[in-house]
Amino acid sequence: MPQASSISVLVVDDQLTMRALIRNALQQIGFKDIREAPDGEEALKNLLAKPANLVISDFNMPKMDGLALLRAVRSHPPIRQTAFVMLTGRADRELVQRAVQFGVNNYCVKPFTVQGLREKIEQVFGPLT
Amino acid sequence: MDELEAIKVTFFQECEELLADLEGGLLAMQEGAGDLETVNAVFRAVHSIKGGAGAFGLEPLVRFAHVFETLLDAVRSGTVPNTVELAAVLLRASDILADHVSAARGLGDVDMGASAAMAAELETWTDPNAAPAAHAPLVEDAAPVAAAPAAASVSGVADDDAMDDDDLGFVFVPQTITVEAQAADAEPSNVWTVSIRPKSDLYRKANETALLLRELSRLGPIKATLDDSALPALGELDPEAAFVTWSVRLETEEDESAIREVFEFVDGDCDLEITRGEGGVQDAMASLLAVAEAPPVVEAVEPAPAPAPEPIEIIAPAPVAEVVEPVAPAPAPVVEAAKPAAAPAAPAAATPKATPVEVPGPGQSVIRVDPERIDRLIDLVGELVINQAMLAQRVGEYGIAPSSNLAMGLDELEQLTREIQDSVMAIRAQPVKSVFQRMPRLVREVANMTSKQARLVMEGENTEVDKTVIERLSDPITHMLRNAIDHGLESPEERKAAGKNPEGVVRLAALHRSGRIVIEVSDDGKGINRERVFGIAVKKGLIAPDLQLTDEEIDNLIFLPGFSTAEKISDVSGRGVGMDVVKRSVQALGGRISIASRPGQGSTFTLSLPLTLAVLDGMVVDVAGETLVVPLAAIVESLRPKPEEVRPLGPVGSVLAVRDSFVPLIDVGQALGYRDHSPAPTDGVVLLVEGEDGSRAALVADAIHGQRQVVIKSLEQNYQQVEGVAAATILGDGRVALILDVDATIAMRRRDGGAPRPTEPTLIAAE
Repeated sequence: MPQASSISVLVVDDQLTMRALIRNALQQIGFKDIREAPDGEEALKNLLAKPANLVISDFNMPKMDGLALLRAVRSHPPIRQTAFVMLTGRADRELVQRAVQFGVNNYCVKPFTVQGLREKIEQVFGPLT
Repeated sequence: MDELEAIKVTFFQECEELLADLEGGLLAMQEGAGDLETVNAVFRAVHSIKGGAGAFGLEPLVRFAHVFETLLDAVRSGTVPNTVELAAVLLRASDILADHVSAARGLGDVDMGASAAMAAELETWTDPNAAPAAHAPLVEDAAPVAAAPAAASVSGVADDDAMDDDDLGFVFVPQTITVEAQAADAEPSNVWTVSIRPKSDLYRKANETALLLRELSRLGPIKATLDDSALPALGELDPEAAFVTWSVRLETEEDESAIREVFEFVDGDCDLEITRGEGGVQDAMASLLAVAEAPPVVEAVEPAPAPAPEPIEIIAPAPVAEVVEPVAPAPAPVVEAAKPAAAPAAPAAATPKATPVEVPGPGQSVIRVDPERIDRLIDLVGELVINQAMLAQRVGEYGIAPSSNLAMGLDELEQLTREIQDSVMAIRAQPVKSVFQRMPRLVREVANMTSKQARLVMEGENTEVDKTVIERLSDPITHMLRNAIDHGLESPEERKAAGKNPEGVVRLAALHRSGRIVIEVSDDGKGINRERVFGIAVKKGLIAPDLQLTDEEIDNLIFLPGFSTAEKISDVSGRGVGMDVVKRSVQALGGRISIASRPGQGSTFTLSLPLTLAVLDGMVVDVAGETLVVPLAAIVESLRPKPEEVRPLGPVGSVLAVRDSFVPLIDVGQALGYRDHSPAPTDGVVLLVEGEDGSRAALVADAIHGQRQVVIKSLEQNYQQVEGVAAATILGDGRVALILDVDATIAMRRRDGGAPRPTEPTLIAAE
């Protein structure tokens, strides 16, 4: 059973509010190593400089959106194995299907609860301690 | 939960920015910008507001934003055509969205009727039948969500049902992964790519790349690749020049600083680039980010060579075993460290206050500071300035030579103090954008109310000015804009009849001019009807009927107390207050306002304010035993008049002949009511001053003490407004001095004809 505190997370969202909310939720779950990026471009730079175990990314962002980020992550061998959870504003089939195509690990619909987010992450990593 | 409350505050701050983005985007759309990027930005703004509102359970806001977002999504996908008419509707919707945000914040109410009507209107645009299934969102998240009790967990709003995979219409299988698998797959973290491009200086100083490579090899196994593609043909080869680049793959447990240490002695003699991981990662990044993120080092040198077709590989000797050190902690990420350098540098300007600073986007390092802390800092710096001035004065009183160490040290202190002051003021400087962005809505509303067509053009939104000034700009600008639309612009029919575009243009501009901020509000309307203005002023007893006034003076009659040209007081520019109130509040800030008009072509209000309300450069003078400060910006020159230059004018007044013109002489002591009888101007000093409107006057003072920067203490806040006095200050010796309001003094003299100042502001007709 993986420890939440040993999993590093990169939160990607253009909204400061959302990043703060996600960080807050992650902290409640037990995550300690949490970094943030405001868009896909920054996120990719961040990951290439220092990989993370998990990326939680918004879809709709300026510069490089969540799908483009997912694609970029999967095409870079050193960070290809990063777990990727996409956040969406609504359960949009087309969007999720494309994300699946690009190898998304899971998705989560906003607004979410702490428990809801936890479940989504556990579906990827297994039960967290 | 405090943290959540804090996030909520952030959310509302962010909403302000998002609403501004939204409005900006919609205005661009109205101007005909139909590009996808604009539409996307507009969509994202509404989407983000809705997202945040959902997290905090702000139900009415979510509901309205949802309808708005749905229509924007349809525009984005091309289902609903992006037209100018649509943009107008969306703009009105954005106003209501702004109201919802304010209401959610507890500031103001939403007209629920108008909101429902707008929601219905938006829904009629989104024709669901016309939307192709592929673009239509299949399932909407349950937008109207119940507000969560305060104790609920973080964004504890939505039911978990919202996340059910069933919503998708297909089964989503989460892809599991283990941290171990990630670790196994990840590249060893101790691989570095070191790129070395020696400059000719390196060789000139008898350094050797081979030595550097050998040193590197002590850190771990290396694999060096030589790129000689820039090497010219032998005949063209300059033996003194450097042409090659080494790329070294290094595996080491050491951190970046250890690698840098190797190059300590060739610092500056070679272009060095150290990146974590294989070089390929960097290349991939560069191609992905076709922006200016490429390391600046490479750009700085000669034209980049094409990749070498046949790189020469050199396998360096194995590392010396004993050099291997204990595992160092993971180094700071390279890219991150390079970020500050990549941030756009603000163009250098003469004064920090006037520097146009790019507002940093999200993610750039921005520190949010409680404004109270900055205010406190500015207060303290103000005290420091006074203290420094006091100290300098005391030292001066002891007759210490200016060349002494003490005096020189004090000079340095003064310079430093000024620099600190400028820097601190720059912290509080803000672009006027925050005020300007509220204006498009005002213009829409006023135009609607007065049945006029108006388009607002804004310029210089990024002009920076101290926060204290920003806060006080809103009211005068609002008033001037209302006035421009209500009184300046003609009705569409009148405009058509006059051969003009039925849509009037109102221009709002901000600029820096001679150490002040100038706000201009102009319209292309009918201009001031001078005959009517003059008639009204006479009828209301504000001026004598036989008074001879220039066109400019007639225009500025509208600032007289009790003057209002509106036949009926409309809600729009009226509310009983006229431009005189605006003028007075502007003057209280040390500012001036004037109007210029051209019949048939429009009018321009010009408002000028100091860049800060905290400090002022002034001339300290003695008048009737009192110490006064005259703002340096107003002083043209100082002189000692000769008797033949002073000519009497009328029973009490006199003028001073300055070169070819005559300037009215004003005894400051008399103007402020310090004394009844003026001494002969030839006994004192005369300051030739110029008002904001260009009118000149010669102020008589008893003596001049010198030029000084003073910290402004508002008289209004501490006492009350006094005509002729702009503010007060504390001088170096601790005494309080009044700061003269030059314009008001000139205006008083003009009205009073030099008579002693009455206690109440006088009307021109009272003479």
